[in-house]
Amino acid sequence: MKNAGRVPALDQAAADAQAPPLMVAPEKVVERLNRGVSKRNARWTFVGEQPFGDALALRRFRLGNGLTVLTLIDRAAPTVSYHTWFRVGSRHERPGKTGLAHLFEHLMINETRARPLGEFDRVMEREGAEANAATWTDWTYYYENAPRAALPVLVELEADRMANLVLRAPQVTSEKEVVANERKMRVDDDVEGKALELLYATAFRRHPYRWPTIGWMTDIRGFTVRDCREFYRRHYAPANATLVIAGDFDERRALILVQKHYGKLPRKEPPVSMARPKEPAQRAERVTQLRAPTPTEKLLIGYRAPAFCDPDTPALVVANEVLFGGRSSRMHRLFCIDKEIALSVRGSIAPFVDPGLFEMWLFVREGKRRQDALSLLDSELSKLGTRGPTRLELDKAVHQLELSFLHGLETAGGKAEQIGFYETVARDGAAVFDRLAAYREVGAGDVKRVVQKYLNPSRRTRIEIIPDRS
Amino acid sequence: MSVFVESSDILPLVDLEIAFAVGGLQDPAGQEGLAQLTGHLMHRGPRGISRQRFEDELAALGARLSVEVSMRSTRFRATVLRRNLEPLLALVARVIWRPAFRAGDFAKLRRQAGAALTARLDDDQTLGALRFRRALFGGHPYGRTLSGSRASLDRIDLEKIRRFYRRNIGRSEFVVGIAGDVTETDAQALVASYFPNPGVCRRPDSKLPATRARRGRHVIIVDKPERTQTQLFIGTLGTTTRDAKLFPLIVSNTAFGGTFSGPLMQQVRGVRGWSYGAYSRLLHSTRRDAWYMWTAPSAEYSADCAALQLDLMERWIDGGIKRAELTFAQRYLINSHCFDRDTPSKRLEAMLDVELLGVPRRYVEEHDRLVSDVTREEANAATAARISHRDLAIVVVATAADVEGAFARLPGVKSLEIVPFDRV
Repeated sequence: MKNAGRVPALDQAAADAQAPPLMVAPEKVVERLNRGVSKRNARWTFVGEQPFGDALALRRFRLGNGLTVLTLIDRAAPTVSYHTWFRVGSRHERPGKTGLAHLFEHLMINETRARPLGEFDRVMEREGAEANAATWTDWTYYYENAPRAALPVLVELEADRMANLVLRAPQVTSEKEVVANERKMRVDDDVEGKALELLYATAFRRHPYRWPTIGWMTDIRGFTVRDCREFYRRHYAPANATLVIAGDFDERRALILVQKHYGKLPRKEPPVSMARPKEPAQRAERVTQLRAPTPTEKLLIGYRAPAFCDPDTPALVVANEVLFGGRSSRMHRLFCIDKEIALSVRGSIAPFVDPGLFEMWLFVREGKRRQDALSLLDSELSKLGTRGPTRLELDKAVHQLELSFLHGLETAGGKAEQIGFYETVARDGAAVFDRLAAYREVGAGDVKRVVQKYLNPSRRTRIEIIPDRS
Repeated sequence: MSVFVESSDILPLVDLEIAFAVGGLQDPAGQEGLAQLTGHLMHRGPRGISRQRFEDELAALGARLSVEVSMRSTRFRATVLRRNLEPLLALVARVIWRPAFRAGDFAKLRRQAGAALTARLDDDQTLGALRFRRALFGGHPYGRTLSGSRASLDRIDLEKIRRFYRRNIGRSEFVVGIAGDVTETDAQALVASYFPNPGVCRRPDSKLPATRARRGRHVIIVDKPERTQTQLFIGTLGTTTRDAKLFPLIVSNTAFGGTFSGPLMQQVRGVRGWSYGAYSRLLHSTRRDAWYMWTAPSAEYSADCAALQLDLMERWIDGGIKRAELTFAQRYLINSHCFDRDTPSKRLEAMLDVELLGVPRRYVEEHDRLVSDVTREEANAATAARISHRDLAIVVVATAADVEGAFARLPGVKSLEIVPFDRV
């Protein structure tokens, strides 16, 4: 198809209005959809259904070619969110070729065998869809948030680019330049970006988490068309992906569309997952200084943290909330209000498949010393590890986490993102609710224990950012 | 007092907003930052309760309260778990009508505001945007900064904050919006119960003079060391909210630089890979606000990128948009409009803008018709009438030595000024 005007734009809203309410069991729907379908790749399996909160249900289907499809009907707004999560991120790259996973975010909007350059975005924007993508260490996802009538177009275009992307020199060269510019903006000329890159490069010695998702500049400059084609062949396939469709749509019609467009894609076995490189134990603090054209000192500290699915992670997330969660948190009060040693402080735990870092930022004020800020941090962490949080602090932390959780589920796009993330990282799209329950179970003793276990100075890496006044 | 309610029981959450039509435009000359400091000092809590206790109570309710002060409004926004709405309303009412205004809090807040001005020097995009508005609007209030300067902050004391509060907030008209898991009847009753003060003073009348563009093309380089990449703002005056040409301009600007598929993005990024982003924005207010293009090209071809943008802009204004571009922009604006109203809080925000900022109600209620009624002739005539490619502010954040010569050679440049980045 070469003409954007010829892409079928079925008015699903009108079709839905005519159709009777569908109460057919998913097993029956699948049975009907499989009638007369001889190709194994296009045959559906209904895997199961899980509650998604009190009112919604998450259904899991699988196509014969290995594509997993998760559906969540939510008629709160006349919109639909369509996510495609691939189990490929920067950890699947190798030294010398870092940044390839991220480059694909850019390449995937280029031409396919059926569509010329620029048509993907033209069609999406014409339909009123917001289309974008994100890449991190363990995954890459592509998404569209669109009016519900656009669903047929989303299915067709996403299926097309999963298998038919055309990778040629002009597009690869142009997108490499765009990524080089993105890197300059986000890393080379940005003191926080540069420090974060240095933190992971210093903290990790073997694990691929040591290189940045955007890639080293020399690697970005050096990508060839062949590199890109090889990466695409290896990682972009139905069996390495999960589709999440959330919002106001007719499930049966969506399954028909997916079957039609993805069912013709061949089954390719997903890449054999690489052995998890064992990161040597860290026994002493690592300190690196970064001189940068910045007006004030800053400290970026990374403590060894558990993997996202580790049973210790919920307690550590609650500890982070007690320490850094908003204006009533310990660190904000201490650093920004009482002692006025920092303008702002923040903390976060990398939500990675393998153990990552608990990152803490201290933005030291002009005229204050980073050494004093570090002493204050150590002293406060020690207090939390010894005495634990108060009952009030625990209640506040859980309430705030609950609020964030609910906010994250406000739109169809928010729900699809949570489902896709949990499905890819925790292998269970509905586990988002288990995580909330786990936060509620955390007690003061748990917080004390994880603070003692993980927030240990000998297991941290510290980047000291020093204003370069030369 | 006006009350707007947008009910939805999808999530057990409620968003609350109390808004006043007062902001940085009411700052007296030389005391820029006063409105923002006032809002932020109110946020430190009400009388009769310590700041710490106030923050603990908020957090324990599962609530978040923020204050957003803009040039035209001050908005207290809170989100709360439904079960705690009533205690939150009681607390917010005290914050707004019984603020503590403690001397100790003020001293700390003013030092914090000063430190934030220093920290801002790390943010090239913000530096560029601030300087662009100053270059475009000169001494007009639209050229002011909301956060002020070290000097203007030093001129503000606690008494000035109290006076500003009494004059502009304490007894003024206000708007309440509630969205989420609460019925219209319950919401109205709760507001009447917790906010009995209807506000008696009329909104401040700014009596702003008209904005005027400086004649010619003027380059300002915000000089910062070690920049490999630049922040580039090129723009001129746009239009007013009530301009009859507003919707034709919105459609025309969308066709030019409002989407990924438009010529600005395609030529800068798609064809040349020169910038991660390339957009044009049309702002509107009571007086003519800004129209501008933003890109972030490498220093080595920043001036080439500027020249390309100027050429594209001239073609857009002089040649107009084609019929296919018009249709595409209209479809995009109409189809994507559902995302301006897909949550209760977004629907509420649109209603508050009508009430607070004087946005005509039909812009919200008849959006799709206003967009689809625009003809190609109207779009092109509006662009030619309102957007000038002769009178332009061209602001680039870069290492001046790397780009000065090339920017001086851009077509039609009348002046070039270099400003150190720490004096923006």
